[in-house]
Amino acid sequence: MDGAHQGLIDYPNDVELAQKTAFLSGNECAAQAASHVDFHVMGYFPITPSTEIAQILDEKFAAGEHTTTLIPADGEHGAAGICYGASLGGGRVLNATSANGLLYAIEQLPVQAGTRAPMVLNLVTRAVSGPLDILCDHSDLYYTLNTGWLVLMARDPQAVYDMNLIAVRLGEHLDVRLPVIVASDGFFTSHQKRRVEVFADPAALRETFLVRTEAPYHALDPRNPITFGPYMNDPDMINNKYQLHRAMQAAMRELPKLFEEYAAISGRHYPLVESYHADDAEVVLFLLNSAAETAKDAVDRLRAKGVKVGIVSPNVLRPFPLDQIREALGGAKVVVIGDRADSYGASGGNMTHEVRSALLDSLGHPPLIVSRVYGLGGKAFTVTDAEAFFELGLEALAKGKVAVPFDYYGVTPGTTSKKPERLVPPLTKEEVSTELVKVRPNPETGKLDVELPPFWALAARPKRLVPGHGACPGCGMFPVLDQVFKSLEGDIVVLFHTGCAMVVTTGFPFSAHRVTYIHNLFQNGAATLSGLVEMYHQRVARGELPASDDITFVMISGDGGMDIGMGPALGTAHRNHRMMIIEYDNQGYMNTGSQMSYSTPLGHRTSTSHVGKREEGKRFHHKDTVQLMAATHMPYVFSALEGHPADLMRKVAKAQWYANNEGMVYGKILSFCPLNWGTPEDDGANEMHQAVDSCFFPLYEVEHGKTTITHDPDVLGTRVPLADWLRKMAKTKHLLEPEHRHVLAGLEAEVERRWRRIKAMHAHPDL
Amino acid sequence: MLETTVRASERRHGARNLPQTDEDGLYEIRLESLGGFGAHLAGKMLAEAAVLQMGLNGAHFSSYGSEKKGSPIKSFVRLAAADAAVRTSAPVERPFVVAVFIDHLLNDPAVLSGLRAGGILLVNTAQSPQEIRDRLDFHHDTVACLDATTIALEEKTRVNTAMQGALAAMIPFLDVAAVREVLASTFARKNASIIDGNLRTFDRGAAELRVDRREPAAAGRSVVDVPPQWGYLDAPIGGVVADPGNTVTKNLSGSRAGYIPVFHADKCIHCGLCDLVCPDNCLSWDIVRHADESWDTRLRGVDYRYCKGCRACVDACPSGAMTAERETPGFADAHTVPLDWSPRVVNGGRLHEPG
Repeated sequence: MDGAHQGLIDYPNDVELAQKTAFLSGNECAAQAASHVDFHVMGYFPITPSTEIAQILDEKFAAGEHTTTLIPADGEHGAAGICYGASLGGGRVLNATSANGLLYAIEQLPVQAGTRAPMVLNLVTRAVSGPLDILCDHSDLYYTLNTGWLVLMARDPQAVYDMNLIAVRLGEHLDVRLPVIVASDGFFTSHQKRRVEVFADPAALRETFLVRTEAPYHALDPRNPITFGPYMNDPDMINNKYQLHRAMQAAMRELPKLFEEYAAISGRHYPLVESYHADDAEVVLFLLNSAAETAKDAVDRLRAKGVKVGIVSPNVLRPFPLDQIREALGGAKVVVIGDRADSYGASGGNMTHEVRSALLDSLGHPPLIVSRVYGLGGKAFTVTDAEAFFELGLEALAKGKVAVPFDYYGVTPGTTSKKPERLVPPLTKEEVSTELVKVRPNPETGKLDVELPPFWALAARPKRLVPGHGACPGCGMFPVLDQVFKSLEGDIVVLFHTGCAMVVTTGFPFSAHRVTYIHNLFQNGAATLSGLVEMYHQRVARGELPASDDITFVMISGDGGMDIGMGPALGTAHRNHRMMIIEYDNQGYMNTGSQMSYSTPLGHRTSTSHVGKREEGKRFHHKDTVQLMAATHMPYVFSALEGHPADLMRKVAKAQWYANNEGMVYGKILSFCPLNWGTPEDDGANEMHQAVDSCFFPLYEVEHGKTTITHDPDVLGTRVPLADWLRKMAKTKHLLEPEHRHVLAGLEAEVERRWRRIKAMHAHPDL
Repeated sequence: MLETTVRASERRHGARNLPQTDEDGLYEIRLESLGGFGAHLAGKMLAEAAVLQMGLNGAHFSSYGSEKKGSPIKSFVRLAAADAAVRTSAPVERPFVVAVFIDHLLNDPAVLSGLRAGGILLVNTAQSPQEIRDRLDFHHDTVACLDATTIALEEKTRVNTAMQGALAAMIPFLDVAAVREVLASTFARKNASIIDGNLRTFDRGAAELRVDRREPAAAGRSVVDVPPQWGYLDAPIGGVVADPGNTVTKNLSGSRAGYIPVFHADKCIHCGLCDLVCPDNCLSWDIVRHADESWDTRLRGVDYRYCKGCRACVDACPSGAMTAERETPGFADAHTVPLDWSPRVVNGGRLHEPG
């Protein structure tokens, strides 16, 4: 079978269902397919580059194109749980993720496969972190190979659409009953628009190809109660796993039938293994997904010169099409295997080992194998690179042996003579000890007194963050950071959660941080910093570090990090480590394109809470993180605003004292995002005052359990209606329109209720 | 998304060919811009017109890093005959057309990387094609100039629409009417009130082009491959940055979109409010020590290398010492007051009471 005659996009004229031509990216194709399936439930958490799938589906929901319940989870682990539960309910379920999102969810994957709950997960492949890289490779994909999930490969946007439809059918087949991953390449496929064909009539598709196979049992039938997930040891577990193995074999039987059935309605036929001019090729390149497509141009170039080369690339990884791969590669003299991820220390990525083992059973002489790791972390794979891979194979062919069986392709050596050189000297002890901000315990009040210098004096404090960072013009986050850092005396160590502030200050090989800085992914920053804090105190106690340093430990998080990272943050708070958590809350996941966070207020428009005929922005109220943290009874909790700098600085100074003397403190600082709030770059700060004066964002502190409002608009006579603030921002001005007034009324009532509660706490020392 | 409904049996693929392609059957275009100037959208609309309106095959995508406004971005359009495959997903390396959305991007010669002999360079600039040729020492092929910034300002639209009009006019096989139609329908979905201004911008982009066509170069421009600063032999292990603070080597002037804050020392009361709101930490302060051993701080000006022109300082200034002005060439370099990183110690000193 030759791809030249059996191409992926082949258009016979006798297909069953009408289609239309569209110009869509891989993510748009995934969302288009999902909309056509009309899944019952999608649970998801935004992560680049898969985020768009949920965004587009939310937009389509708002427009009335599908009826799927879209559930924005608090993290990928939560999303996986939502999907698992929904799947046990017997309907169709969707998720989309990438990289560390997948890894955060991964312990749920074998649970779901082992208990045989089908669903579809779009894995938009991306490099797994350490350090963080948002671009494509297959290091996340390779982790899925032992989870028991079926894995379909989608090499281009058309295949993303097609495989998403096929996946639904494959997973719910009664002999299979397994969850399915559809893997496509991040950015190369997910963000690249191509000409595609999609079915014109989704209802007709659902009545034919997509007819649902009822689950043999589900968790929503009280007349047929079932126990899901018993505890199972020896002697039963091995049989459960053998059942899973047999399900994989069934999938291998059923998939070709499904591909045939799909070809009949679409005109697009997928073989288990795609072979392009491999029949008579002497050197064959084995690649996954988009790189295999790119390499076809190299085959054509070389074939034009009479060089016998070809490509083999599977459309399914689990089950692994062993026989078909052996057959496709059987005639080759040299096979060059490109792995877009390494299996470190194994002298080849996973595909190298799986293909090599397939070839061990070849009749006759097995081919020579050249293995290369390529294209990590988004490194492009060009037609020229594919030619270089063929060149490696042709060299081996000429010499009859492989000079270097395994290596990386595309690395840069650099030189051994170069060393990093500091352009900005580290801050000295004298510089950071300004004694400008003075904090003293007041024995009479039991609280702290703070003496702040004039603002001009604080301009003398050396910046802990230097300029040259890449934030948007007018970013609201950096004035917040500057005011926080201006308030802190002495040495600090900072930990930044993943987010805008992290990305724009530390794009390798650059860093804008003059003090020691650590990033950890935002599901775990608080725990990470607590570990460092305890190491510090251990090493000081052992005399390994000087006690005189008196380091303050500061964690900086966005509101997104306080969603997915809430568990470790609460754990850290309960353990009462001596550290600070400062949250800049800009009411959304701005770093990934303005998805809603739990801090986004009701009715606000974001890229995952659209406004349309079926949807009116965010569906639930904003999270009250200040009260959540106060409920841990840590020594000090506050809220603050950049536009009230003296109030903010006083609170941060107190926070530092408590963090160094008593235990953990937390502060939430409202911060604007001109780009995603839709406010002018030079005016966002002004409008923030109305967030406070409308009592949406009360400024207060909870010190040893006692609540004090530090800016009371009712008393000061500055109170404004909430609408005054909301009408200024593109993300909220729709709430002023008559049709959405009831949403505004709901938000107003909630704001007033929470404000009265804070006032009551302020008035009563026991509350 | 524009969709054309066709039965599989009525498909019109195969109708159109391209007059000029590379060895893989592709005609490639690269747009060079900064985040926020709309190059991604311009590329998308061109490709959409080619595929959905003209029946060609094609692809569109953009380089992707951080999504911040003002970061460099490249947008790629790849076109092929209707029945030819578009298979490669790699960035465009050897384009037939390079369109530069912001004049100063020409300061980096890599914008011309890989331009094919006989290719087209389109620049948004007030300068003439000859001036551009002299700047780049580029004396073959076609150079086209368009003052898209002025058109956009006059029409209250964006640069990308004017550039789109120019691209549609410059690329011989593109159907200008088809691109115009995609533009109109895109804006109709977004905001119908701005269609007319955008169509005028598009038409002016095509009409006001200044084109200088010359003989094709003997060979295309070489592909500039910028190696990473560090390799596996010299990068510290673990991906650490061992020389933090090195972002001070950057120059972010390109992020300013026309306006610049101007400091008037005579009006400054040195209150420090601007320093509380500047997102880019680019205000230069001196510590002044007095004879009585007290000290205070004085604002000296702006280090424009890092100023992105947000004007938060202008808004915060209570004394009119910061004003927002249209940036003129050379102003920033002449007036920048560099930040310095030598130690500044105020420990224990007494604050000077302003007299």
